[in-house]
Amino acid sequence: MTQIAAESSNTDPHIHEKPLSWRRYFSFSTDHKVIGIQYIVTAFFFFVVAGIFAMIMRGELITPETDLVDRTVYNALFTMHGTIMIFGWMFPVLVGFSNYLVPLMIGARDMAFPRLNAAAFWMVPVFGFLFILSFLVPGGPAQAGWWSYPPVSIQNPSEQWLNGELLWLLAIVLSGISSIMGAVNFVTTIVMMRCPGMSWFKMPAFVWTVLAAQIIQLFGLPALTAASIMLLCDLSFGTTFFDSAAGGDPVLFQHLFWFYSHPAVYVMILPVFGVFSEVFPVYSRKPLFGYRVVVVSSFIIVALSAVVWVHHMFASGTPGWMRILFMFSTMLISVPTGIKVFAWVATIWGGKLRLNTAMLFALGGLINFVFSGITGIMLSSVPVDIHVNNTYFVVGHFHYVIYGAIVFGLYAAIYHWFPKMTGRMYYESLGQLHFWLTFLGTTLNFVPMHPLGLMGMPRRVASYDPEFAFWNVVASIGAFLLGMSTIPFLLNIIASWINGKEAPDNPWRAIGLEWLVSSPPDVENFEEIPIVVSEPYGYGKQEPLTENMGG
Amino acid sequence: MTTLDGAIDKNQLHQSSHAIAHEHDEARNSMFGFVVFLLSESIVFLSFFAGYILYKTTSPSWLPPGVEGLAVREPAINTVVLVSSSFVIYIAERYLHKNNLWGFRFFWLATMAMGSFFIYGQAVEWQSLNFGFTSGVFGGTFYLLTGFHGLHVMTGILLQGIMLIRSFIPGNYEKGQFGVEASSIFWHFVDVIWIILFILIYVWQ
Amino acid sequence: MKLKTIAILTAIALGLTAISIWVGQLSYSWLPPQASVESKLVDNLFSFLVAAGTFIFLGVTGTIVYSILFHRAGRYDLSDGPPIEGNVTLEVVWTAIPFLLVLWIAVYSYQTYTEMSIRGPMEMAHMLHISEGIPPAYAEPIDESVEPTTNIEVEAKQWAWVFRYPEQNITSTELHLPVDLRTHLVLRSQEVIHGFYIPAFRVKQDIIPQQNIDFEFTPIRTGKYRLRDSQYSGTYFAAMQADVVVESIEDYQKWLAEAAKNSPSPAPNQAASEYAQRKEQSAKASWTTVVPASSPMVNYHP
Ligand code: HEA
Ligand code: HEA
Ligand code: CUA
Ligand SMILES: [Cu+2]
Repeated sequence: MTQIAAESSNTDPHIHEKPLSWRRYFSFSTDHKVIGIQYIVTAFFFFVVAGIFAMIMRGELITPETDLVDRTVYNALFTMHGTIMIFGWMFPVLVGFSNYLVPLMIGARDMAFPRLNAAAFWMVPVFGFLFILSFLVPGGPAQAGWWSYPPVSIQNPSEQWLNGELLWLLAIVLSGISSIMGAVNFVTTIVMMRCPGMSWFKMPAFVWTVLAAQIIQLFGLPALTAASIMLLCDLSFGTTFFDSAAGGDPVLFQHLFWFYSHPAVYVMILPVFGVFSEVFPVYSRKPLFGYRVVVVSSFIIVALSAVVWVHHMFASGTPGWMRILFMFSTMLISVPTGIKVFAWVATIWGGKLRLNTAMLFALGGLINFVFSGITGIMLSSVPVDIHVNNTYFVVGHFHYVIYGAIVFGLYAAIYHWFPKMTGRMYYESLGQLHFWLTFLGTTLNFVPMHPLGLMGMPRRVASYDPEFAFWNVVASIGAFLLGMSTIPFLLNIIASWINGKEAPDNPWRAIGLEWLVSSPPDVENFEEIPIVVSEPYGYGKQEPLTENMGG
Repeated sequence: MTTLDGAIDKNQLHQSSHAIAHEHDEARNSMFGFVVFLLSESIVFLSFFAGYILYKTTSPSWLPPGVEGLAVREPAINTVVLVSSSFVIYIAERYLHKNNLWGFRFFWLATMAMGSFFIYGQAVEWQSLNFGFTSGVFGGTFYLLTGFHGLHVMTGILLQGIMLIRSFIPGNYEKGQFGVEASSIFWHFVDVIWIILFILIYVWQ
Repeated sequence: MKLKTIAILTAIALGLTAISIWVGQLSYSWLPPQASVESKLVDNLFSFLVAAGTFIFLGVTGTIVYSILFHRAGRYDLSDGPPIEGNVTLEVVWTAIPFLLVLWIAVYSYQTYTEMSIRGPMEMAHMLHISEGIPPAYAEPIDESVEPTTNIEVEAKQWAWVFRYPEQNITSTELHLPVDLRTHLVLRSQEVIHGFYIPAFRVKQDIIPQQNIDFEFTPIRTGKYRLRDSQYSGTYFAAMQADVVVESIEDYQKWLAEAAKNSPSPAPNQAASEYAQRKEQSAKASWTTVVPASSPMVNYHP
C-alpha cells in the first residue's frame, strides 16, 4: 500500500520512466500498463495450472480403463480445468491486453477509472486461488463440469456446508464482479477518452473489438450472476429453484447459463479478431482490407450472439420450433465472421509478407479458426448436433477455437507487442520453434477428438470403450507435445526480458499511436496528447498518423 | 461504488501539469460509467423476472400449501411511498442546483425517510407471511426478488446518507455534484424495478 | 488476360469441388454403422456439410498458402505493398455467398429434422406414436398385423439403465428392439439429468427428472449396439452404459417370452461394484460420492 504514495507522487511527466523495479508489478499500481502486465502474467500462471490438470486428464485417457486417477478426481479435474481456463486464463489475459493497449491506441493517458481498474485486477488472484483452494475442502472441488448443471451440482455428497461447489460459485460471482468493473471501465474509456481527431472510424480495429467484447460482458454476465445466486440458494439455503421434484426447473439454469456463456465465447474471440486485424497489416505491409466493414461486423456478431444460446441445448428439454429458430440464428453468425476472414485473406493477398513469429501465429490461428468455425456450423445443424452433442466432437470444436485460434492469437499478440511492453527484443529462432511445436501439438491433440466424437465417444468420461483407444493415444501424445511447446516460449520470454537486445520504439515499422512512444512507454504514455489526422493502417500511403508527433 | 466517485479520483496521475482541457472530464466519465453499470445491473433483475414468469406459468405446484395469495393493500401503500420518493428526490436535486443547501437537505432526508418506511413496511410484510424462502419456487422467487430489491433500496439509502453528510463539507459541490446525481439516478432505477416487481408479484396473481 | 483469370479460377473451383465431394463421400466412414432410419438422414446431411466445409476450408487456406509462398517480402525489401483499402464488389460477393450458403444449409437441416420427426419433450401431450403432419420416414412399409413396439419405459438412475416392457411386465438391463419397427420409448429419470444416446442410431435426448419424455426412432439393422449416457450425471457417469440388441421380430418375441419366465434377480452393475470395491481398498485418492443405486432387480440381464 505504501507503493501508492510512491507512484502517485511520481507525477512529473518529464522524468522519463526508468525501468522501475520489478516490484511495482506486485503493488497496487493504477498504471494501466502495469495492470495489463499483471493481468497477463497472473492469467498465464492459471493457464499453466489448468494445463497441468489437462495433462493429468490426457494421462488418464491414454488407456480405456480408469487407472491413473479415481473417477471423482477425474471429474474434479475437468471441471476445474474448464473453469480455470475460462475464468482464470481467457478473460484475464484478454483484459490484460486490452488494458495495456486500449489507452495507448486511443491516445489516452490511462483508463477512465484507474483505481477501479486496479481493484478489478486484484480480484483475479483472489478468485483464482479460491478455485485452487477448493481442492483442500473435505468434499473436494466442484465436480459438476464447468456448466455446473443442477441437479448434479447441488447433490453435495460430502454434506459439508463448506464444499467445493460453494467455493466454485463464490469464485464465479467474484469473477463476474471483476469483469463488470472492467467492462464499465473499458466502455467509458473508449467512448469518452479518445484523443482529438480519433473519430470512431479512426479507431484501430483492436479497440473496436474490445468495445464489442466488453458490451457482451455487460449484458451477459448479469444472467450468469443471477443463475449463480439461485444455484447457491439451492445448494446452501434449501430453496428449490432448480429441483424438479419440488416444482423447480433445471432447464431454466441452462438457459440462464448459456445466455451468458454462449456470448462469452465471443468475448474471448473478438479481441483476437482485433489482434489479427492489427498483425496482418503490419507484416503484409498493406492496409486492413475493408476496415469499416470489418469493425462494424464485430457489432453484428455482438447482436447475434445474444440470440443463439439454445444451440447448446438442442438435446435438452427443447421444443422443435426453438431448435430450428436457434439453428438458423446460429448459422447467421458465419456471415459477419466470414466477412472478417475474407478481409484478412485479402489483406495478406499481394502484400509483402514477413513471416516472423507473430505473423506465423496469426496465420496459424486464422487457419485453425476457419477449421473450427466450420465444425461450429456443423454443430449448429440440429440433426448433426443431436448425434455429436456432448461427445468429443464438441470438445474438438471448442479446443480448436480456444487453443487453435485464441491462444494462437494471444501468442501473436505477445510476440508482436513484447518489444513495446518490455523494451526488449525476443529471440526470433526460439519463437519459430515455439510456433512449429505448438502447431504440431495442436493438430495432434485436437484433430483426433473429431473422429472420436463422430464415433460416439461421450465427453467427461474417465473410462471408455476400447474402440476409442487409438485416437485417444494420438490425442494424448499431441497434448504432451503441446505442453512441452510452452517451454521454449517461457525460456524465450524470461531470457529476453532479462537479457534481450534493447528494442527500438517501432521495431516492426508499424503504424499506430502505441508505436510513436518509447519502448516501454512512459508512465503517462504521451508527452503531449496526440491529435490524430488519418485512418489507421495507412501502409503504402506515406501519410502522417498525427499532427503533432513524429514517426 | 465509491471508486466511481469523482471526488475520490482526484489525485490521479493523468491530472498532471500538462493535461489539456480536452483530456477528460472526471464527472462526466463517472456518470457515464455509472449509467452503464446500472444498465448491466438491470439484467440481473431481468433474469430473475424471467425465472419468475417461467415458474408462474409452468410450475405444477406454484403456491405452497396453505397459501392463498398475497395481500395487496399494504404493499400498495408501500409502492406509493417509494414511487413518490422519486419525485421528492428530484425536488431535492432542484434545490441543490439553485444552491439552496437546506432545501436540498430537507427533501433529501425526506427521501431517505420514505425509503426507510418502505423497508420497514417490507419487514412487516415478511413477518406476517406464512411461507418462507424454502417454500417451493413461489417462496423462493418471492423472497429472492423482494430481498434483492430491498438490498438495493438499503444501498440507495446508504448512498444518500453519505451524500447528506458530505453536504456539510464546505465547498463540497465546487467540483460538481456527481455523487448526488448518481444517488438520485440509482434511486429512480430502484423505483422502476419495484414497479415491475410489484406488477409481477402482487398485481398478477 | 481477364479471360485467362476466369479460366484459371473456374479450373480451381472445379478441382476444389471434386476434392470436396470426395471428402464428403469419405465422411460416411467416420461414423458408426447406420442402424436406424435416422442415421441415414443424418449422415447424408453430415456428408453435405463436410463437402461444403472442405470447399470453404481449402479455398481459404489455399489462398493463404499461396500468399505465403509467393507474396513474401525479400530479405532487404522494406517497401510497402499496394495501399488497397477495399473493394465493394468483392465485399458484397463474400457477404452474399455465405448468406445463401447458410440458407441452403439451414433449409436442408430443417428438412432432415422434420423427416426424422424427433419428438421433443414438449410434445409430450400426444401419446399416440404415429405422428401427424409430416409422415416419419419408415424404412419399409410396416406390417400392421405385427404388434407394434409398445411404450418401453426407460428408467435412468445414478448409474444404471433399466428397461421395462409394461405389456409383458418384464424388466431388463439390456434394451431389446425389433428391427424395422418404429420404436416408442418413454424416458424417465429419478434424480438428475441423464442423456439417452445410441451413436449407431444418431439419436439423443436428455432426460429431465420428473418428466415423461416420449422418444421415437426406427432401428433397421440387426446387431448389438451401445447405449451411452450423454449428459454428465456425476461420479460413475462414464460407466453408465448398456447394450441395445436389435433383432428380428420373431427373435424379439421369443426373447420377451423367455424373459417373462425368469423371476427378477439382481443385475451386475458397474457403478455399484466399483463403489463396493472402493470401500474395501481406498488405494487411490478420492472424494465422497453420491452412493450408486443398488443393482437393479430385473427379469433379464446379459
Ligand atoms: C471461444 C470461442 C468459440 C467460438 C468463436 C465459437 C464459434 C462458433 N461455435 Fe462454438 N463453442 C465454444 C466456443 C466457441 N465457439 C465452446 C467453448 C463450446 C462448448 C462449451 C461446452 O459445451 O463446454 C462451443 C459449442 C458449440 C455448440 C454446441 C455444441 C453442443 O454442445 O452440442 C455449437 C452449436 O451450434 C457451436 C457453434 C458455433 C458456431 C456456429 C460458431 C461460429 O461463430 C463460427 C463462425 C465461423 C466460421 C463459420 C468460419 C469463418 C467463416 C467463413 C469462412 C465464411 C463462410 C462459411 C460458411 C458459409 C459456413 N459451438
Ligand atoms: C481456455 C480454454 C481451454 C484451454 C486453453 C484448454 C486447453 C487444453 N485442454 Fe481443455 N477444456 C476447456 C477449456 C480449455 N482447454 C473446457 C471449457 C473444457 C470443458 C470442461 C467441462 O467439460 O466441464 C475442457 C475440456 C477438456 C477435455 C475433455 C475432458 C472431458 O470431457 O472428459 C480435454 C481432454 O483431452 C481437454 C484437454 C486440453 C488440453 C490437452 C489442453 C492443452 O492445450 C493445455 C496445454 C497447456 C499446458 C500443458 C500448460 C503449460 C505447459 C507447461 C507448464 C509445460 C510442462 C508441462 C507438462 C508437459 C506436464 N480439455
Ligand atoms: Cu446418467 Cu447422465
Ligand atoms: Cu455457443
